[in-house]
Parts: sequence; C-alpha cells; structure tokens
Amino acid sequence: MRAKCLRDLLKQNDRIAVSNITGREASKVSYVSQKYSPNIIGGWALGKGGEQVESPCGAIPVFATFEELLRSTPKSRHPNKVIVYSPPEAVYGEVKEVARYGKDSVETVFIITEHISIEVTAKIHQICSQVNIDVVGCNTLGMINTHEKVRVGAVGGDTPEETFRPGSATIISNSGNMVSTIATYILTAGIGTSFGISTGKDRLILFPLKDFLVLAEKDDHTKIIVLYVEPGGTYEHEAIELMRKNGFSKPIVVYVAGEIAERCKVSLGHAGSVVEGEKSSARAKKEAFDSYFGIPPFKPEKRYHKTEELKASLAQGIRVTALHHIPDAVTLVVNTLGIRKDIGRTRPLRLNPWFVHLGELGKRLPAELALFPGVILEPYAEQLKAQEQTFVRSFIRQPMRNASHASANDGKIPRIFGYSLTDIMEKRSFTAALILYWTGELPRDAFEERVAELTLVASLTNGPGTISAQGAKLSASAGNTPNTAMISTLSAIGLVHGGNGSRAVEFLLDSFVSAEVEDPYAPFADVQEIAVKAAADFKKRKMAAKEAGFEYRRIPCLGHPVFRTDPVNFDPREQVIYGYIMRAGRTNVFLEFYHLLAQALKDNGSTKNVLAVNLDAAIASVWLGICWRKLKEKQMSVNRAVDIPFIAFALGRAAGGSGEYLDHNDFGTEMDMRVPVSECRTLTKEKQLPQ
Amino acid sequence: MPLRIAEFTFLEHLSTRYGIPTPRFLADSTDRIRIKKALEEWGGKALVKPDVLAGRRGKEGSVVTVTSSQEAIRELKRVSSTEVNGGIPRLAYLVEYIPAQMEMYTAVQYNTGFLAPSFTVSLQGGVDIEEVAEEAKVTIPIDIYRGLDAYQASEILSALDCPKSLNSLLSRLMISFWDLFISTGMEMAEINPWRITPAGGAYACDFKAVIDEANYKSKIPGLVFPEYPDNKTDFEEEMDAWNAASHRGQAHVSDLNGDLILPILFGGGVSTIITETLQAAGGSPMFLSDFGGNPPYERMLGTAKRCFEHKLGEAELLLILGGKANNTLIDVTFKAIADALISYVEEHGPIHMPVVIGRGGPRLVKGILSLKQTLDYLKLPYVIFGPDTPVTGVAEYAARLANAARKLKEENNEGEVSERPA
Repeated sequence: MRAKCLRDLLKQNDRIAVSNITGREASKVSYVSQKYSPNIIGGWALGKGGEQVESPCGAIPVFATFEELLRSTPKSRHPNKVIVYSPPEAVYGEVKEVARYGKDSVETVFIITEHISIEVTAKIHQICSQVNIDVVGCNTLGMINTHEKVRVGAVGGDTPEETFRPGSATIISNSGNMVSTIATYILTAGIGTSFGISTGKDRLILFPLKDFLVLAEKDDHTKIIVLYVEPGGTYEHEAIELMRKNGFSKPIVVYVAGEIAERCKVSLGHAGSVVEGEKSSARAKKEAFDSYFGIPPFKPEKRYHKTEELKASLAQGIRVTALHHIPDAVTLVVNTLGIRKDIGRTRPLRLNPWFVHLGELGKRLPAELALFPGVILEPYAEQLKAQEQTFVRSFIRQPMRNASHASANDGKIPRIFGYSLTDIMEKRSFTAALILYWTGELPRDAFEERVAELTLVASLTNGPGTISAQGAKLSASAGNTPNTAMISTLSAIGLVHGGNGSRAVEFLLDSFVSAEVEDPYAPFADVQEIAVKAAADFKKRKMAAKEAGFEYRRIPCLGHPVFRTDPVNFDPREQVIYGYIMRAGRTNVFLEFYHLLAQALKDNGSTKNVLAVNLDAAIASVWLGICWRKLKEKQMSVNRAVDIPFIAFALGRAAGGSGEYLDHNDFGTEMDMRVPVSECRTLTKEKQLPQ
Repeated sequence: MPLRIAEFTFLEHLSTRYGIPTPRFLADSTDRIRIKKALEEWGGKALVKPDVLAGRRGKEGSVVTVTSSQEAIRELKRVSSTEVNGGIPRLAYLVEYIPAQMEMYTAVQYNTGFLAPSFTVSLQGGVDIEEVAEEAKVTIPIDIYRGLDAYQASEILSALDCPKSLNSLLSRLMISFWDLFISTGMEMAEINPWRITPAGGAYACDFKAVIDEANYKSKIPGLVFPEYPDNKTDFEEEMDAWNAASHRGQAHVSDLNGDLILPILFGGGVSTIITETLQAAGGSPMFLSDFGGNPPYERMLGTAKRCFEHKLGEAELLLILGGKANNTLIDVTFKAIADALISYVEEHGPIHMPVVIGRGGPRLVKGILSLKQTLDYLKLPYVIFGPDTPVTGVAEYAARLANAARKLKEENNEGEVSERPA
C-alpha cells in the first residue's frame, strides 16, 4: 500500500486521467465530476486522439494512448490518479500501460469496469504492487472526499453535494449504491461524511478493508466508520484480526447483508457475493463483528444506559440488523462516546410518503398503515412543481375535449407547455416557440433553434411552378380569400410532394433502430456501417422486386427532379443546412447518414450517379435530431416524430403559398389560371348516348 | 453465476490433456457385455457415481461400490435418477475402483487474503478440507505470472511429511494440476482425493471446479460445458434467457416461492437488503430480483412484462423499490414499468392491488410522475416514497400493507379490496 492516509487516495489538486473517456458512462460521469471539482486533466481512448470531451469547466483533451497523454502534458501536470472505464477485455492492457509509463507519477488506479476475469484482476494486483501503485476495485463505483470536495467515479450520482456533506463518518461499502444511501441516512443523525468509498464488488477486492481501516485510523476528519458488507472473501476477518492485534481507535457501525444467499441458496447480483467458504458467509461475518464489538446487535427499541461497559463496547462499534437502524445506531455511538455532531438540526429518518392514494383500501386499513402525504423535500418539490406544469405522458389516452398539454389559458396568461406566451414573445423567437409547441421542450441551444429555422425558410418556396404554389395561385385566380388560398396550398401537398419527410423519418428510425445514438449532433462511429447496410438492403430489395416484376419501394428523399444529372448531385437548399451544421462544428447523424447512403448506393451499383440528398431529407434529419432525446427516452411518440417534419414543411409552404396569393391577387387577371380550351387534349373518342 | 463443473467433465475432457492420471471410466452404458468386460479389466470392482453438482462432499451417500455387471446396471439406473443434496444428476457413470494406501487433498483457487492464486495441500484427502486440522494442511500463494514451481510443491509435501518415495511424482502431478487450472480460466479447482496405490501410482479420484466465464481461456475449442438439470422454475428459466440476451441492465431473478409481494427491485446490494427485510417482516417476496445497471427502455419493459406475466396474477402487492441510483435513469425505467403494467391490464383485465414505490436517482421526479399517472389511470391504490425514506423502512411498510390487504381480501367475500376502474 502506497497511500499513508485516506486523502492520499483522493484529494483536492489531484490530477486525474480517465481511460476510454469518450465512452458513454465515462464522458457522462466526467462531466458531473468536473462540475463538482475540476480535476480531470485529460483522457485517452484508442483511435480517438485529438477529440475532446465537453465539460462545464472546458473541454477535456482526449489522447490516443496514455503514453501520448504523458508526452503531451507538462511533467508538473502528469496525472497522479487514473480512472479506468475501458471494456473488460481492454483493462489489462490499459493498466499495463499505466504501470509502465506512469509509475513515476501515478499513485492510485480506480478500476470502474466490471466483468474483468479474476486472473486479470490478480495480474493487475501484482504489476501495480511491483511499481507501488494502489488499485481500488475492480468494479468500484469510485470514491469521494467530501471535505476537499473532490470525487472519482459516479459516487453521489449527478448531485454529489446533495448527499455528501462534510462530516465525521467514513463510509466503506461493497456496494456503490449503498455509499450514497448510507450518506443520506446518517445525515438524519446529524453526521456528515468525510470519505465515501466503494470498494468494488468483484471476488478479489484489490484494496481490502483492512487497508482502508489503517488509513481511516489516521484521518483526522473521520470519527466513526460505517460499513456495508456482503458475503464473499475474508476481508472482514482480516480487518478484525488486524484491529484486535494493533488496536483501532474509531467506532464502527456495520450492516452485513446477504444471509439470504445462504438460506435460500440463491445467487446475488454481485460477483463477490458468491458464498464459497464458511468464513466468507454473511453469518460468519456477522459473528466475527459481534465478537469483536462485544455487544449484541443494535435494537432500536432498547434503552441503552451509558455505562462504562457500553462505552467500551461502542468504542469498538455495533452491528445493525436493518439498514434503517444505522442512523439510530450512529446516534447511540456518537452520544455515548461524546462525538460532536456535524449538523445541528436534522430530520429523523422515517416514512415520508410523497404521494398517497389508497382510495377505498385506505378507509379499511389500520390507522398506522393508512398513511398521509408527507413533505416533499427540496430540490424535488421545486422540480415537481415545474414538471407538473409541463409533464406529458402521451401514451395514456383520455378525453381531450377540454384538456391540452400543449397550451393553457387561466384567463390571464396563455401558455405553451407551461411557459408564458408573453414571456416567450419578449424573450424568444418564433422558431423557439414552435419547437416548444411541437416537442414540449424549448430548443436546447442556439444551434438547434437556427437549424430548425433554416428548414422553415427553405420550405417557403421552390418557385411558382410547384404544385403547392399552384394551389394558392388557382385559389387567387378564382377570387378566394387568403385563408382559402392557404388551404389550397396545403391541400396540394401530400406524402409525395412535401410530406416525404415523414417517410424519411420512418426510414431513419428503421435504419437506426439498434444503433445507440446518444447525441445526434455528435459524431457517431457506426454511421458509415449503417449507411452501407441500408444501401445493401435496398439493392437486395430492388433486385428481388425486379426479378419478380414488382415495383420496388424507393428510399424516401433521395434524388431531385432538377438536380440529377451531375456525377455527384446536390440540392442547394439542403446544402445550406448541411453547410451551416458543418460550420457550427457540429454534425447531424441522420443527414450525415443520408449523404453516406447516396454514395453507398452509387458504390454498390444501385444508382448510376450520387443522388442529391433533397430538402425533405434535410428537414426530416433536422427535426428528428430535435426530437431524438425525447423519442429515445419514450417521452415522445413515434407518430409525433414522424408528423413534425411534415408539419414544418407545411407551415413554411403555407406561408410561401400566401406570398404567391398576394402576388397573384395584385397582378393577375381574373380566371387567368384557366387552361385555354385550345391547350386541352382529349384522350377519349367522342361517343353518342344510346337512344 | 460462475460455471461449475464436476468429475465427469474432468474425466471426459480435461484430465488426459493435462496428463493427470485418473481411474478408467464408462459412461452412458447399460450394456451388460461392456460393463462386464470393464469390470474384468478393472479387477472386478468399480464405483457408480452421479454426475451432479453437489457442493460440499455430499455425494458419498450416492456413490456405490459394485462388483458385478448386474449390480452395476441396477445402480447406474438408480443413481442417475436420485437427487443429491437437491441437485438432479445429469447421468451416472461407472468408474474404476482404485485401492489406496494414502489419500491427498489439493486445491488451487484465487485467495482473497493473498489477492493471488493459492495452492492448498493436505495428506488427509477424501474429507472436506474445513474438517482438516490447520497443522495438517498447507496453503501457499502462487505468483500469477510464474505459476507453481515443482520445488514449491516438493517443499509443501516435505512439510507435510509425505513419504519421500512419492515426493517427485506428486510434485509433478501438482504442476499438471496448476497447468490445468491456469490454462482453462478456472476460479477454483479441487482434486480430492488423490488416491495413492500401494504400488505407488497416484490417481485423481474426484474433481470439482468453478470456471470464470469472464476469462477467454474458458472458451475451450470443442468443449461445451455441460448444463446440469436443475430445479429452475419456468419463470427463472425465461428470465435467465432474457438476462443473457443483453449485457445492458441486469435481469436476474431467483424464485423464493413467496406468495404476497411482487418485488421489482434495483441494485445488487439494495435488492438483497430489501428482500431480507421483506422476509423478516413477513412480506413473503415472490422472488429475489436485481434490475439495476441502467437498463434501456426496451430492456426494462421486457423485464417487467415477464415478471408481471408470471407473477402479477398471484401477487397481493406490487413493490417497486431501489436506493438512490447513481446511473440508472429513473424516468426511463419507471416509464417502462408503467407501460408493462398497462399492457398487462389491457391483456388480462383490471387488477386490484396496492402499489408501493420508493426510489431516488437521476430524473426521479419525471419517473415518479410517469408511474403515478399510470396508477391513477389504472385506478390502483398507491404510496410513493422518495429517497428520503429508507428502503428498508419502505420494505417493512410494504410487508405490513400486503398482509393487511390479504386479510381484508379474505374478509371480503367478493375478494376486492381496491377501487375498480370506471
């Protein structure tokens, strides 16, 4: 063990490097960690050198290898901590690289990855021991040092400061989840956290409990230790043996879970929980702690008298038999031993239902079971208030005659999805209001708003000859009012003209059904592969249909009646949208897919030249991008996502049709859309009615 | 759950490859002539053994000595259909009887004390190693890169006062045993006993091992590890298959044969604690579940649908409970559960049971609203807790509520304790 005290494992000003930082979990957790404490100096991911990972404290540079990270970073900034998020099969290689190149600077490696083989785990232990690097894990959730406000890994979730307040308890847990849970519980006893540690839950825990206790003994902030223990391994026996031998000055409150594994002969979720030897069982661990403490497990109903004997026992600690007894047990220990509480006013741990609706059942239940709603704590109460105004759960059908999620009017202020229309008028654009009205959420940034606006502008017109413009002109020519002219425009668009975007969304959803696109505006590695597959599928379909003599289904929104003769064709309106996205340094994975698809169709011989990606494809791609997050989280129906591009086009084109109407009305002659008789052809011979 | 194998797989596939001598054996045969011939060749005495995962040395009662082909056939049939410690044998096989002047115990396993592999030897073989006195067994750590060296094996044997004439042979066999262990991605392997014949030959006469499926070495070309028949319920089997279908989000369940609470639980640690609390409080949970690991919508939907399909009809209370999640998106998981509940009702008709919910984590409020709206729509009574109420407190409450609901149901002739949907 290299660390001399707990803060050696994690402290303010540590310089952290993250492996596989571009991965889904690593990038997400790094973002939150940087917000809590900006200590990540860089990351690495094979093949991703030169990229960046966004964070609230600026972009985190990504290098191709750990060695390159060291080479490109001044020596004074070399990482002293490493978090490993790589896939299981890559972890061994990553750790070997860290041990080889980083042995002069790296003190601790935290391995988050699970499903690492036990052989590799043992090898990691050996190579890191040889170069004096401590390893926490494998399969740890991470660690938090509350006094210095710094964490590694996902301990505390998205809001670590909410759960972890600086205080006197060090929490050491086999389960990552329980670190946060216990921290929340002990707050109700007036005790905050000094360190929250997830040991990892594989069979081999490379930083064993006894080592953590040795370090905790030396930590000035730590006055009490709370342990969460599961079956597996002999770590607790070794720790107890060490405490007995060398003495241990801090009381321990412990909860041992997992006896159900022995009683019911079932496996638990944690790999480390597999019960093998008698010593590794929950029962044996409970007995060992009880024997060390010299006092029976904590009973909440019991009145403990502050005798010298009790003091002596509690100075060692006490075991609890239910998790929610921890705050009471901690209170007993701190009161008996005279440990100062960290927080003055606290709320006891009790049942606090947020919502209760027991209906008829409630009337017949005993009083203690018929609960009443309690107080919803902040920040949840505020979030709830905000959410209740805008929350849509579109998949439960109900009578909607007098109800709407999209709009409201309380007689004072009209609202769109809860937002005041007057506020929107003053502060936001028409496009932002439309996005809100159609999707239930405001655009996430200026980029999204602008790119949506471009689709509306582009939809205005494609010249007077388009059938939708003709609709408005016909209506003007007949002497209709403006609204009728707009309807005429709208009635002249359909799934073939203008509404093809809806088909494009369906096609895109089919193509990306199993792709895990998180952010449609970020590069997606598999897009080329998806495009090639879609092109291959199309080719197969086309060949089969041709052989059978059937009409084959076209790919929607590829090709254009005007722009089609060059080797590589473009729709200029689509190019403006595509160009804007590129200039903004972003991407749209769906539009990117369309371009790659056009090329792939040419490459596999399905088309003679590279077809133009037309405006409808751009509209579909842009609006699918806007809808993507909600769609993926099932907060939006597929129908809505399919309809929106159609509506966007229709809105733009109805406005464009109005322009044609105004123009035609001012300058046209009456009935000038009438096709002269001389220009009309008959395709049927004259016939006589029978007498 | 790690994969376990027993002696029969060792005899069939592994012992020869690693040069470990074993008794001769005959499997899957009730052919009198073959058995008779084998018995003659083996000296007229053999053992009938079940191929079963018996855990500790619990097979003894079902291992039978036979001396005639008639007896062998009868015992092969009997043993193959007799449960051993709750396990059903895959088959029974006949194995040569090895006379012994001495028995030895050996095991290799990853040792949580050394954080490395360890090698254990005792010259008191044939019994559980826990029963052997400390001074009669030796355990040493093994360098994971260098492996077990013959001199180390020899030193252990000397320390145990092994007859010198056997030292060299047994040391070499221990190296073969280590080679088997490290080459096949094992977590633990035990040969117990080695039987040493009066003539000085050593034979591995029983074997068990745990395979680490996360180790690529466990994928041995041409070897498919046998599946042992087990007492899994249809529900467990379906969930096992569903769990194996994707690595995103866990879907593990173990039936507990409870009849009150259908628990949809999240988080390995927390789910264990909740289940223990439910049992202690008389909540009679139907199964142990752990559905954490940030399952995507489709995964959670499939998981919830399967649980409801198998268990909801019999449940008295639906419990959806987990700690404060770090990564799992609560709105996604809760929406999936809500949709599974709606689809269950659409298919099976209205249900009448209280629902108790407790959770914390990212996008909690959205998730709770989603479930609450569904429960309102289905007109189900509910109590929803946030992360400020301890999970075990919620579990205790749910257990009491489920019992009260059952009691009311029993009192009510019509068997209805909740509001009917309009």
